[in-house]
Amino acid sequence: MIFGGKGATGKASKEAPAIVTRHSSGLEQFHSMLHGSEDLSILDMSGASQANITFVTGAGHRISSDDLIGTMQQIFGDNFLEGQQDPEKVKRFLELALTFPDASFDGALVWDALQFLISPVLEETVARLLRVVRPGGLILAFFNANDKIAQIPVYGHRIQDAKTIAQVPRGALQPAQHFNNRNLEKLFEHATSIKFFLTRDNLREVIVRR
Amino acid sequence: MWSKKKEDAPEPPEKPAFVPSTPAVEPQRRESTSMSSPNRSFEAEPLTPRGGSVGSAALGKNVTVKGQIFAREDLTIDGEVEGTVECHEHRLTIGPNARVQAGLKAREIIIQGSIQGNVDATDKIDIKKEAKLVGDIKTSRIVIEDGAYFKGSIDISKPNAAPKTQAAGSTPSSAQQPLSTAQPTPVGSSAGTPVR
Repeated sequence: MIFGGKGATGKASKEAPAIVTRHSSGLEQFHSMLHGSEDLSILDMSGASQANITFVTGAGHRISSDDLIGTMQQIFGDNFLEGQQDPEKVKRFLELALTFPDASFDGALVWDALQFLISPVLEETVARLLRVVRPGGLILAFFNANDKIAQIPVYGHRIQDAKTIAQVPRGALQPAQHFNNRNLEKLFEHATSIKFFLTRDNLREVIVRR
Repeated sequence: MWSKKKEDAPEPPEKPAFVPSTPAVEPQRRESTSMSSPNRSFEAEPLTPRGGSVGSAALGKNVTVKGQIFAREDLTIDGEVEGTVECHEHRLTIGPNARVQAGLKAREIIIQGSIQGNVDATDKIDIKKEAKLVGDIKTSRIVIEDGAYFKGSIDISKPNAAPKTQAAGSTPSSAQQPLSTAQPTPVGSSAGTPVR
């Protein structure tokens, strides 16, 4: 287990929602593990963004884009957590989420999406995630480590460089549960390895090796 | 004598000067009108005002097409299309009202509407923020605005010789930069876009 991260360096932009640019040890690790390879397939689950496309394709890789939180909001609606208890909605969600062939990707940037899913949708989503990533591939996911927070800010994540991300606010959602290291180890028990980077601002960055 | 006429001439020929912003062109035209028949210049010039719109077609928002569309000119689609659309060497614009379930091929594709299908642009794809695209993209360059919905993969096709030269040892970054959508909309500027 590795504790790292330098925390957020708040950098508000002019008006409207403040964009935070921060160091990400998880991304740095993710990038260093992929570095030196070409023609890899990367899944970005933060929705389509020019920054991420540019970064990934600029490194000679292929990128696939999906928006897991967008799909959740589309299917589960305003009553986000209650919606996940509706079998019909869960079925629809699973029809839309991560519908890629097995072992399609060398890496998956899941960002902060998983923390808003409740059991059993969460476990099913993680199982699919592990299926679509090739053995040895990496998954980067973020979890808020503050167990007292009622609403977790949701961000779009834009890669600035190999160890810096810009977080674009997308509102806030109620967390599905509190994730500590033990929860996460259990959640990814079928993975080969898992590393944690705990930042000063209570963000747990997780690197999972399939 | 000729020179005097030329000095006098500049005023009347200004009528057909369709490109007043480029004075350097005008003297050439005057000379050509004096050398050749005037009819020729009047025939040629009416095409100029149409400018970019010459050779472009459009399907309006109340038009539905099922089947294959081949265009040898720029094409704008704002209606419904199901099938395939090919505009080799030309620009294809998918308007904001368009609902397309088709594979698209063109030199350049601008997307504002909704597409379900694979998109192949030899030069560039420009996805606007109101666009919705579900399908795989193959292109040399891509510009995507924050707020656009995209689900699929992006394959940046490299110029034919590029991959081999990269493998041979040239700096990969410099070789890949042009392919990597280098001049995107600044992340920060579009970043305020709220969640869909």
